[in-house]
Amino acid sequence: MGMSAAQGLPRLAAAFAVVLFALLPAAGLPAFYDSFFYLVFFWISLATSWALLSGFAGYFSLGHAAFFGVGTYTTATLTTQFGVPFLITVPIAAAMAALLGVGIGAVVFRLRRLRGELFALLTLAVTFVVATIILNTPIDGGAGVFMSAVPLPHILPTATGTIYMLGFIMCVLTLGITWWVVHARLGMGLFAIHDDEDVAEAKGVPTFRYKLAAFALSAGIAGAVGGIHAMYVGFLTVAGTFELTVPLYVVLMSVLGGARHWLGPAVGATAITALLYAFISGGEAMVGRAIVGLILIVAILWLPDGVLPAIQHWLRTRRGPGKLQVGAVVVPVVPPAAQAIKGRPLLEVRGVTKRFGGLQALAGVDLDVREGEIMGLVGPNGSGKTTLINAVSGFYPLTSGSIRVDGVEIGQASAHEIARRGVARTYQIPRPFINMTVLENVSLCATFGGATRSRAEIRDEALHWIAFTGLDGKEEALPAKLNLHERKFLELARALAARPKLLLLDEVLSGLNPAEIDNAIRLVRAIRAQGATIVFVEHLMRAVVELSDRVAVLNEGKLFALGAPRDVMRDPRVVSIYLGKAYAA
Amino acid sequence: MPSATLLGQALISGVLAGGMYGLLALGLSLSWGLLRLVNLSHFALAFLAAYLTYELGTTYHVAPWWSAMMVVPAMFAIGLVQHWLFDKFRVNELASLLITFSFAVILEVAIQLYWTADYRRFETPYSTLSFKVGAFYIPVLELILCLVAGALAWGTWLWLRRTYVGKALRAAAEDADIAAAYGVDHKKLAYLLSGLGAAYAGISGTFIALIATLAPAQIWTWLGVVFAVVIIGRLGNPLGALFAGMLIGASESLAMAVFSPAWAPVVSFSVLIAILLWNPEWA
Amino acid sequence: MLLEARNLHVGYGDAPAIWDVSLDVDAGEIVSVIGPNGAGKTTLINAMAGLLRCRQGSLRFDGADMTCVRAHDYCGHGIALVPEGRRLFTKMSVEENLELGCYLPAARAHRAQSLDRVFGLFPILREKRGQPAGELSGGQQQMVAIGRALMARPRIVLFDEPSLGLAPTIVDDMFDIITRVRAEGAAVLLVEQNVLKALDVADRAYVLEQGRIVTSGLPDQLLTQPHIREAYLGV
Repeated sequence: MGMSAAQGLPRLAAAFAVVLFALLPAAGLPAFYDSFFYLVFFWISLATSWALLSGFAGYFSLGHAAFFGVGTYTTATLTTQFGVPFLITVPIAAAMAALLGVGIGAVVFRLRRLRGELFALLTLAVTFVVATIILNTPIDGGAGVFMSAVPLPHILPTATGTIYMLGFIMCVLTLGITWWVVHARLGMGLFAIHDDEDVAEAKGVPTFRYKLAAFALSAGIAGAVGGIHAMYVGFLTVAGTFELTVPLYVVLMSVLGGARHWLGPAVGATAITALLYAFISGGEAMVGRAIVGLILIVAILWLPDGVLPAIQHWLRTRRGPGKLQVGAVVVPVVPPAAQAIKGRPLLEVRGVTKRFGGLQALAGVDLDVREGEIMGLVGPNGSGKTTLINAVSGFYPLTSGSIRVDGVEIGQASAHEIARRGVARTYQIPRPFINMTVLENVSLCATFGGATRSRAEIRDEALHWIAFTGLDGKEEALPAKLNLHERKFLELARALAARPKLLLLDEVLSGLNPAEIDNAIRLVRAIRAQGATIVFVEHLMRAVVELSDRVAVLNEGKLFALGAPRDVMRDPRVVSIYLGKAYAA
Repeated sequence: MPSATLLGQALISGVLAGGMYGLLALGLSLSWGLLRLVNLSHFALAFLAAYLTYELGTTYHVAPWWSAMMVVPAMFAIGLVQHWLFDKFRVNELASLLITFSFAVILEVAIQLYWTADYRRFETPYSTLSFKVGAFYIPVLELILCLVAGALAWGTWLWLRRTYVGKALRAAAEDADIAAAYGVDHKKLAYLLSGLGAAYAGISGTFIALIATLAPAQIWTWLGVVFAVVIIGRLGNPLGALFAGMLIGASESLAMAVFSPAWAPVVSFSVLIAILLWNPEWA
Repeated sequence: MLLEARNLHVGYGDAPAIWDVSLDVDAGEIVSVIGPNGAGKTTLINAMAGLLRCRQGSLRFDGADMTCVRAHDYCGHGIALVPEGRRLFTKMSVEENLELGCYLPAARAHRAQSLDRVFGLFPILREKRGQPAGELSGGQQQMVAIGRALMARPRIVLFDEPSLGLAPTIVDDMFDIITRVRAEGAAVLLVEQNVLKALDVADRAYVLEQGRIVTSGLPDQLLTQPHIREAYLGV
């Protein structure tokens, strides 16, 4: 599998650019160029590091200055007050900033319903507090810190050249780290968290850990950049370090260039820095700022995804129509033999209760689901069906009782741990990751749902399930382009890609027309034939009777009846809860 | 430990200063709580009004209350235009934060281009007026500010509580669809609210011109504290904004008296952080 | 004919939820629409209340064409909605919720009178008038929702699954109230999952299945049809 020309050209260009900028100081250009390019590298590193958490995972932080400032003052304090050599202070600055980030994240990311703007303001508040602490302690004390006496290592003959080189190395490092994140599981998980954190968690992404990791990386890089910048500035003040420009410019640059693309913030940073520099050197710094503000407004209103994705999209549409089919009839693949139902229970629910404030949604449910069977879960509205599915998949912890899957207790486990134990679910209203293609959606579930596999294996796995559910031809489509039927099957493909032992289907048939329903029934049978145990919630009674080996009827949060479909549905007590007592008689 | 008199004076000064926080927080709290739009340009608008009051006062010798009659309606109109922009582009909460920030930057630049970055002080014969109650000094202008802030907060509260329009606004903020099913035209009300918020910024600006020294960069100094006040006072609650403002003002003032002036910002933000961590649903 | 729907197609996004639905409600009638969950009942009611646009077909209320009428003008024509799950303004008091019902000027003029009538129908609400609506029990909240609708002095009241989430004894009370609503002078269109209750109270009924009306007629006739058993129990 050699590299195609499409892949080779950008890599060659990147290598060329790296070499060019590495040799620039040797070209003997005036110091102004070193300074200008240093600033470009500076903003690229800051903006890209911000995007690691805020762009990728969607947790908008306005507190980037806190990490940057911590880094700056760590270097300042260590060099001026403790005589530590400058280069050694940079990784320490990174570590201090990362520590702050982890500290904030450890507390804040545990809060389940912290809204976006509140996280932004919280991080802003932290910045103010950090700035005040630094201002009022011997770290700065209000007098500012003179850095000019600190010896600079002789990487290059001139001071500006050395700082240029440090900024350049930091920039390459930042872009390298970001590129790696984007192509690793961490990046995949972050993008999923951005689109739908609850679903990401249910698909096996360890959301808390990943958010913390992204925050630590983001903060650490900002800290290192801050440490280097201390030498550039020469005289540090709290006001200058913590002013509002840093957090807001990094937002602007990332939003402009494309916050979800690893190179987006770099594009935005270069453009804005060049623009600002042009205005500053022309003596019109204020006008430059206003223009920057105007650009941000335009960017948010017209290019909400950023410049880079817009260009990519334009290039893709120019390349010609894709290979997407339109409205093809979806026919699932049915393997030959059906699996027998084994005797042992795969899912054991014992005395499960779930209370929401005053509302008792589940009042003590006892249920066994045997390995290999298809169990229908029915009951009137409000009987607790979806609550039970949510409880088993770990969307919320149980008030009391126990749930065992394949012998392992999962009642208090987090959703992503339960997913790794082999439980997968679909949602009644499909919740695909809207910014990912069909293939990426399914690949993610294959990646996080099971054992670690190579990228090639995962891709094959994903393609297999896409074909199984009849979605082949639509791998590159975004979920918005699919109709309801296809989106429901995407839900199924995602659930299956994790190769679950237990599959929970929540009203997978609702909203489909009769032909699509027949299709779906065939698909569910095919899935069982592959070896999965299925519990499905459904209101369409004929489908329940056709598909189920056994039917469980819930009423008022308790198991009301259990048995073969026709027996249960003819039971007068069951009829009465649906139609009313008089009719049953 | 400072004397009781000093602490008492600090308390009084703090509460009065808190009146300004409350006044600024009022408009912000309304638009964030009832319209779900975070309006960072609120401060810039307040300062624009302040500079206009200063200009009318020093160049054209117009008394502040007369200039207010021109400036405040102008601000109301700006609020309407701003909402039209949001409505047309269907802007969400996070985007509104960024867009209004940019708008604030543009306003700041415009102010600086016209009035320069030099400090400006609107001198009036009553700027330094104060009277003594016991051992304490009470500055007249700040007192009037607090009274006005109080009246506005109470008036707004009564408006939201007692009038049909107020009830319609609160209902639409909770469930716009069902409110519409009962005849509430949310769109029209949103414009009204947006204009009102901007008008409140205009009134704040008049007082800022009278009490504080003006400089374009000042737009950002109050941003953090006022946001803390808005959240602590709970979104959409005018009286909450006022009381939270006075609470924060008093705490800051006391902290300044007991420790040192530089520690003041920590107070409001620590309270904010503590509240959000304890109950993220507070706002 | 008070309410006339012809060949309605209504959907969410690209997924149509009801196809080719026609139904009538006359003044003074109680009409029920029954059907299994997922059949499109809430979509139907929301379209009648103006919360959803109809893609195709026509909707006439008292002769007036409702297709171009905006959502907040529906109430002015005399249509009041009791939504699924109540959807009260939970942070506002019971009395304020009721007052929102007579927000429009025509109804507001009779506010005191209407409030008395509602408290007469639901005495317990008079006791709880100052409490936040979110603190009431399910059944009481349903009373507030119905009261809110009555405050609008409607010509027709639309009920979306009134028995949802209510204990069985309270459900009986609810359906009593629905007959009293008709006695107060409004027609009723209700969609319901509880077949027996819905047919018991209705003058006429329709059966909605997977977005289409499959049959309609008098309640007694419908009760004897095996189709009903199939729709609900699949046997």
